[in-house]
Amino acid sequence: MKLLINGESQELAAGQTIGNLLVLLNVESPDMVSVQLNGEFVERASFGQAQVKDGDAIDFLYFMGGGSRA
Amino acid sequence: MSGFSTRMIHGQPAKQDAHGALRPPVYDGVAFEFASSQDIQLTFEGRKPAHSYTRISNPTVEYFEQRLAAASGAVGAVATASGMAAISALVLALGSAGSRVVASRYLFGNTASLLEGTLKPWGLETTWVDMSDLAAVEAALKAGACMLFLESISNPQMQVADLRALSALARSAKVPLVVDSTVTPPVGYRPKELGVDVEVLSTTKYISGGATSVGGAILDMGSFDWKQSPKLAPWAAQAGPLALLVALRREVQRNLGGCLSPHNASLQTLGLETLELRVRASAANALEAARFLAGHAKVLSVDYPGLKSHPSHALAKAQFGGIFGGILSFSLGGRAACYSAMDQLRLIRRATNINDNKTLIIHPASTIFSEFTPAQRGQLGVPEGLLRLSLGIENAPDLVEDLAQALEVL
Repeated sequence: MKLLINGESQELAAGQTIGNLLVLLNVESPDMVSVQLNGEFVERASFGQAQVKDGDAIDFLYFMGGGSRA
Repeated sequence: MSGFSTRMIHGQPAKQDAHGALRPPVYDGVAFEFASSQDIQLTFEGRKPAHSYTRISNPTVEYFEQRLAAASGAVGAVATASGMAAISALVLALGSAGSRVVASRYLFGNTASLLEGTLKPWGLETTWVDMSDLAAVEAALKAGACMLFLESISNPQMQVADLRALSALARSAKVPLVVDSTVTPPVGYRPKELGVDVEVLSTTKYISGGATSVGGAILDMGSFDWKQSPKLAPWAAQAGPLALLVALRREVQRNLGGCLSPHNASLQTLGLETLELRVRASAANALEAARFLAGHAKVLSVDYPGLKSHPSHALAKAQFGGIFGGILSFSLGGRAACYSAMDQLRLIRRATNINDNKTLIIHPASTIFSEFTPAQRGQLGVPEGLLRLSLGIENAPDLVEDLAQALEVL
């Protein structure tokens, strides 16, 4: 499926959730990232269940700064 | 890595240094370059993880924030230019004209002045409460508040707040519990476990390495649902549990401009590595000094939670992991007696700071609280005869000897 991720078109295997994408795309500091799916913010608790489909636009929004890092 | 010092010494930065430097370099510059116009646009929109301008974020400051958040068990941290900058930014992030802070009546003088002098004319109200009076706190919260604000141990009054009890009241009222934990670093203290929602710190004190540099921080424990905050609800709709941190980074702290300098951040990261050693050493010195003063004929009273006679000894022991802090207060009766004893000191320095490596003494009524009237100082728990002693990490016998010779003048 084709997704628009932070403004860039990317081809990925179907059947992904937001939670999968954070890992698959190696998103930096995933605990400190907010996610928009087609312009709507996704609750963090729903990342594992939120399915994405062909043509969806996903935006990862970064906090830039001090997330806990032990 | 379970030990506090081990974690502080061996925690890694998010990105490895290109040269393998064991201590991350100081990124002293202001601006960061981008490969394309689109990259800089994405960064401004928050859609690319990159630093753009040091007032907003900086790699060296980010590393300090990450180490500090890990130390406290926080979700994340925003570093500021000073402890007062942290408090100012937090109050402005949570409050607005017409909203109300429920605050301890025993706050640091400058914090009380910020709320009562600086922000009151802008429409922010403060209700001052004795935090040991839980019924009064509950009643004040029922009237609505943007935050419940206190210090873990007030000084010079040395009042120990029952954080679990206050957290229960705050949760019930859907108000975040904000604690200034400057004097109780997270060596034995676990703010999140006690129900603290947000910590503010003057990192100038213990964390800087013993007064090496000025700094502050706001730490979000991730326990408060920011949808319940009238001011942050719009941010919560965007950023969920990160609402406070994102609001600070993207608006309040960015606009106020009180950023921590990269040099100070580097010094303070180094300070975290030796924090446990210094906290334990100063607390041991404080206990020695408190015991000596408590047994001295010229000393009317001593307030130190480490003394078994202190009314909050058991509470402090449980809350702070047996580490009672490096500050004590003692009374000599009046201002003249305080000045006489202070002026005799040879080793202990007359200076306005706490948790320095050097032991410091001050007469709070004539300095930190001098802008208040004697009646107000009485209400604030700062009588004329009170001295505050902040113990450093020198050898205890030298400090006791200095106190003993100074008290001989009385």
